[in-house]
Amino acid sequence: MNHTVLETVGLTRSFGGLVAVNDINLKVEAGSVFGFLGPNGAGKTTTIRMLLGLIKPDRGRVMLFGEDLSSHRLSILGRVGALVETPSLYNHLTGFENMEVTRRLLGCSKENIGNALEIVKLTDAAHRLVREYSLGMRQRLGLALALLNRPEILILDEPTNGLDPAGIREMRALIKQLPDQSGITVFLSSHLLSEVEQLASHVGIIHQGKMLFQGSLAELHAQQHERLVLGVDRPSVAAEVLTKQGWRVHQEENSRLAVDAHGQKDAASINALLVREGLEVFYLSQQQPTLEETFFKMTAEPVAGGKP
Amino acid sequence: MKQLLAALSSESLKLKRTLALWMVFIAPFIVILLQFFILYDRAKFFAGRDVWGVLMYGVTSIWAIFMLPLFITLETALLSGLEHSGQSWKHLFAQPVPRWSVYAAKLLTVMGMILVSTVVLVLGEMGAGKLLSVLRPELRFHESPNLTMMARMAIMVYLASWILLAFHTWVSMRWKSFALAAGVGVAGTFFAVFASGARIGKFYPWLFPVNAVSTSPERMKLAILLGIIGGAIIAVAGCWNVVRRDVE
Ligand SMILES: Nc1ncnc2c1ncn2[C@@H]1O[C@H](COP(=O)(O)OP(=O)(O)OP(=O)(O)O)[C@@H](O)[C@H]1O
Ligand SMILES: [Mg+2]
Repeated sequence: MNHTVLETVGLTRSFGGLVAVNDINLKVEAGSVFGFLGPNGAGKTTTIRMLLGLIKPDRGRVMLFGEDLSSHRLSILGRVGALVETPSLYNHLTGFENMEVTRRLLGCSKENIGNALEIVKLTDAAHRLVREYSLGMRQRLGLALALLNRPEILILDEPTNGLDPAGIREMRALIKQLPDQSGITVFLSSHLLSEVEQLASHVGIIHQGKMLFQGSLAELHAQQHERLVLGVDRPSVAAEVLTKQGWRVHQEENSRLAVDAHGQKDAASINALLVREGLEVFYLSQQQPTLEETFFKMTAEPVAGGKP
Repeated sequence: MKQLLAALSSESLKLKRTLALWMVFIAPFIVILLQFFILYDRAKFFAGRDVWGVLMYGVTSIWAIFMLPLFITLETALLSGLEHSGQSWKHLFAQPVPRWSVYAAKLLTVMGMILVSTVVLVLGEMGAGKLLSVLRPELRFHESPNLTMMARMAIMVYLASWILLAFHTWVSMRWKSFALAAGVGVAGTFFAVFASGARIGKFYPWLFPVNAVSTSPERMKLAILLGIIGGAIIAVAGCWNVVRRDVE
């Protein structure tokens, strides 16, 4: 029953010599919250701008609701709500007037304004000038603008960026309730894994314009490699011994060794091997790396072909 | 058409509480005030002349040479500035409305605002005349003015300024910088001083408004014709350019 709402095929875009987005194939299922994760400059905003038709891809295409964005732009945009980077607001108008400016353009019902403002909890502040709004209120008004036309998919670019912890929590709570309450599919970008973990059912990891991983959170967890961390009296000898036996060994800080190994059996046999070789094992611990570490590792290295 | 009306209605709401809206009344008022004081101050000198004519030509020339071109520069820059500073282009251009309608609505809004200023200018001339007839009866302003003439001059100046309207709408939308838009407008107006004496003066857009009330019928017709046609061409080309660009 799950169908694809948003799909990109080989999406590519360069600026000068820099390939900002490199052959991205996204697939977002209806009713999911898709977290588009990547460090600064990874190409998130560039991708999102292409999803909205704000810039044109050099290659590849964007499909929304099964139709090609380049040939059905207006009908598609009528079903999409978006908040790209900072919200687009007129400071000299009230929150309500800001909504009304866009409502007039869309020609939708006035009721939509009240509803959207209620969702983001700005009903009471609706008639204050946006100039007086806090950063959190501005962001929520931006979200209300995105919700105004009752979209089927919401595209949010770093929706919590720049907010204080309370603002971040509020914004996340708002986003989290959307799929259940209104059946909206959410595509959101973030540079924080923790945020994506909290909000998303699916993740796409982008780094230097390339997609490194795409799938459900559970699949990302399954990708984790368990490791055995060892404390040995002569680490270099131990590393040699283990490598000879076919284990993958990494040097850790304070002269610990980490070995790619699964389960207690591996742990026991590694220990036995080292002891047999006359080494003293004084520390041994099975470790499941956090997603944060995995993500950090993935995006710490340059991607082949990512930059010229 | 429906989309254009929707975009216009959206634009009009943005004007609320803006300096741009106030300027529609302030700009013509300044010109009227200037000419009013010239007549008021030197009543002896002007007594016995065609005072309505003095008022009308005085107001129209200051307006056409100096105030209108700068006013167009300011209004287009202020209006586009609302979008640049609110980072609204990306929002506007992601709405399910044709991009050209967003551009056209901006242009038509400024055109409408300048038209209102033109009407205010004519009303101001009449008001100034009426006031002078009380304060300086020796000027004999109680004789009725040639209203048709007054309105016709103002409208011709307006039509000839379309080319500047279209050009400045494009500049202000295309580039974020207020300084650039203002610089172009001030430079254009400044060089008009030199161009007015030169033979190419009749082809210099910043002189079209004043040429539109020139005593030479040939100069006048050319200014209005080029003002309208040039305006239309620049409007279409500018729109084409802006809607096809990457949206910041
Ligand atoms: N208009 C542009 N001109 C030139 N380079 C650009 C332009 N827009 C983006 N880039 C470059 O493309 C790359 C990707 O930028 P993008 O804004 O998409 O990253 P991002 O993932 O959104 O990063 P951030 O987390 O900082 O928002 C960056 O190296 C950036 O410098
Ligand atoms: Mg970004």
